[in-house]
Amino acid sequence: MTSTWYLYMGFCAALLFIGIYCLLTMKNLIKLFIGIEIISKAISLALVTGGFVRNNLALAQALVITFIVIEVSMVAVALAIIINVYRHTGSLDIRKLTTLKG
Amino acid sequence: MILQIALLIGLVGFSVLAILLRDLLKAAISLAAASIMLAMIFFRLNAPYVGVFEISVVAGLITVLFITTIALTKSPSDVKESRRPLIIFPLFFIAFIICDIFIMKALLQAGRPMLPGSPGTQPFGVVFWNERTFDLVGQIAVIFAGVFSVLALFRPRGDKHD
Amino acid sequence: MIFPFIAVPLILASFMPLVGRLSKRFFPDLLANLAFLFLLVYSVIIARQLAVEGPTISQLVFLKHDLNIRMALDGYSAFMLMTISLVTLCAGLFSINYMEHYGSKANYYALLLIMVAGMNGLVLVRDLFQIYLFLEVAAIASYGLVAYGLGRDELEASFKYLMLSAVSSGFILIAISIIFALTGGLSFTSVAAGVQALGQKYAVGFCCGLFILGFGLKAALVPFHAWLPDAHPSAPAPISAMLSGLLIKVSGVYAMTRLFFNVFGMNPALGTVLMWAGTISLVVGALIALGQNDIKRMLAYSSISQIGYIILGLGLGTPLGILGGLFHIFNHAVAKGLLFLNSGSIQNATGTRSLDQMGGLAKRMPLTAGTTLVGSLSIAGVPPLAGFWSKLIIIIALVEAKQYGFALVAVLASIVTLWYYLLIQRNAFFGKLNETWRQVKEAPFWMSLATVVLGLICIGVGIFFAFLLKTWIQPAADALTAGIRLGLPGLGL
Repeated sequence: MTSTWYLYMGFCAALLFIGIYCLLTMKNLIKLFIGIEIISKAISLALVTGGFVRNNLALAQALVITFIVIEVSMVAVALAIIINVYRHTGSLDIRKLTTLKG
Repeated sequence: MILQIALLIGLVGFSVLAILLRDLLKAAISLAAASIMLAMIFFRLNAPYVGVFEISVVAGLITVLFITTIALTKSPSDVKESRRPLIIFPLFFIAFIICDIFIMKALLQAGRPMLPGSPGTQPFGVVFWNERTFDLVGQIAVIFAGVFSVLALFRPRGDKHD
Repeated sequence: MIFPFIAVPLILASFMPLVGRLSKRFFPDLLANLAFLFLLVYSVIIARQLAVEGPTISQLVFLKHDLNIRMALDGYSAFMLMTISLVTLCAGLFSINYMEHYGSKANYYALLLIMVAGMNGLVLVRDLFQIYLFLEVAAIASYGLVAYGLGRDELEASFKYLMLSAVSSGFILIAISIIFALTGGLSFTSVAAGVQALGQKYAVGFCCGLFILGFGLKAALVPFHAWLPDAHPSAPAPISAMLSGLLIKVSGVYAMTRLFFNVFGMNPALGTVLMWAGTISLVVGALIALGQNDIKRMLAYSSISQIGYIILGLGLGTPLGILGGLFHIFNHAVAKGLLFLNSGSIQNATGTRSLDQMGGLAKRMPLTAGTTLVGSLSIAGVPPLAGFWSKLIIIIALVEAKQYGFALVAVLASIVTLWYYLLIQRNAFFGKLNETWRQVKEAPFWMSLATVVLGLICIGVGIFFAFLLKTWIQPAADALTAGIRLGLPGLGL
């Protein structure tokens, strides 16, 4: 059982790496959001794998379904912001959004 | 087991494709394909409910939202991504995978960290509706938050705020 | 009965669109602020009941059916509930006048109510995944609220905030899934029992590291603070007050300390990491705040600095340190809320946030100037205002624990804090009246009322701090120092 968990967590870590790489290097707003979607897939896989090795898939599925609902809500808000940004600046380039210096 | 590993590699492959493709539409479709791979992995792990939910919501609804946004924000000048990150990505990725395999091997040899026992005994329906009822309240709140935020972001602007 | 804390804001939020159809501004204002007032009064009643009966668990019973909605209330939760309700009421009163020209007030109040419901839910649950769930509820509502003005700066700030917050939520959830795979449970008691029985130092330590990454970003600890100086100034003033005063503390500091003290058990390594993180935040925030020209940006960096103070106190782990940290949570929430609301008054009257362009406003806006002075001195730690006592307690705790280096840094940072707050006072309020502002008037009634209430609380808490410490903050500190809860006896959680 344990080796199965490690196998799946290895793939989950790879997905996390891909998602964070996307967030660090991509410049298109929608591509950045695809990075977050990939991180969400990693999280769903991690949760279900956790349930699988604990033999408690019912609980894991309830958690993942709740998480997917949260994710849909977040996607809706993020895409609404992206559309509004497009209306303001006419492009989806994050390099144009540099007025605030952070 | 072989099929599981193939599906996992397919999932990672489609995700890599989703960030390497330059056309946004193809990237969104690649993301949907990755979702379908993930759903098949879930089915084979004996988690059918989340598999169905994943296909219908993530591969369905979210992909539709993405395509709607891409259609609404089409501009004649596309965002010029620099080529360098896309070329050095495979190097980083392979390096990461090698580190990953080494760490996993070391952890495997270190012993089993799990706490034994306590499998869940209830079927999914009972767990979802009875045991995690509070999560439903949270889900309703999250849906409200999303709906009201989108309404606020798209409200008709009579008097413009600077 | 503690379910109303979550149910009342949610139900009212769902009715807000209908109410908004009926009347554009009167009914939404009235109903929302009545709800906030109800929450404040009810939290005081519940806190009294807590003092009499001890920690309670409430389970909802609906039509003779046991619904599995369990919430638990102990000293720490009651304390946070009161802080949340107080600052929310004042922000709500302030919004009556301030949000006039933003439009669509019913929608705004609905989002504000959902954010409050999320924060209330976060402090009342006893389950790892539900903490994450209510954290996301409050966060998604805050994304919409930060971008509420629909200007270019707001949208940029909200987008960056969203990206970073989503990544941090991802880290939190990965840690939760690893804990779930290791111990098989999600509620505090089962995870605590599992972690004790497992004895796996490295795996649990890795999860704690992920939690510090995730919650530290929510609490704006350096080096994860980059989103805060953009998001808090761009939001409308009452939302800045709510975010800076409440959200970073509830979703960052409360969640982290609740998990580390009551579930994982605070060990010296964890404490040291927190203390270093707090000190670095303290110093970096204070130094960068000195060079700011925009008043809200300066206040945002000051928030980063004060959160460093709170984490320093809480990371120390001794009972006195925890007491100081919790007291500072309350003081900073009240005072920073007050300061952000006042910056909104200034922006409303003069249309600018730049300190260079302001000058001598004290003659035209005496109430605003007075309350800003009270709030600034409270945070900077000047006796007899409230902030002085909480900072003193933290410094005494540090000295008692023989951490002289940290104590020295804390004292020096306090001096820098005083310096830049006096800069605000001098540039904005005192000095010669800038000719452009000759015609400005004092802030409208509700805005002034909200800020005066908060100012009076700063002064009142400063004078009566001993009484408040004993009755109100000590139970909260006791709840944290009680350590790992391996099952509240007889309550079956």
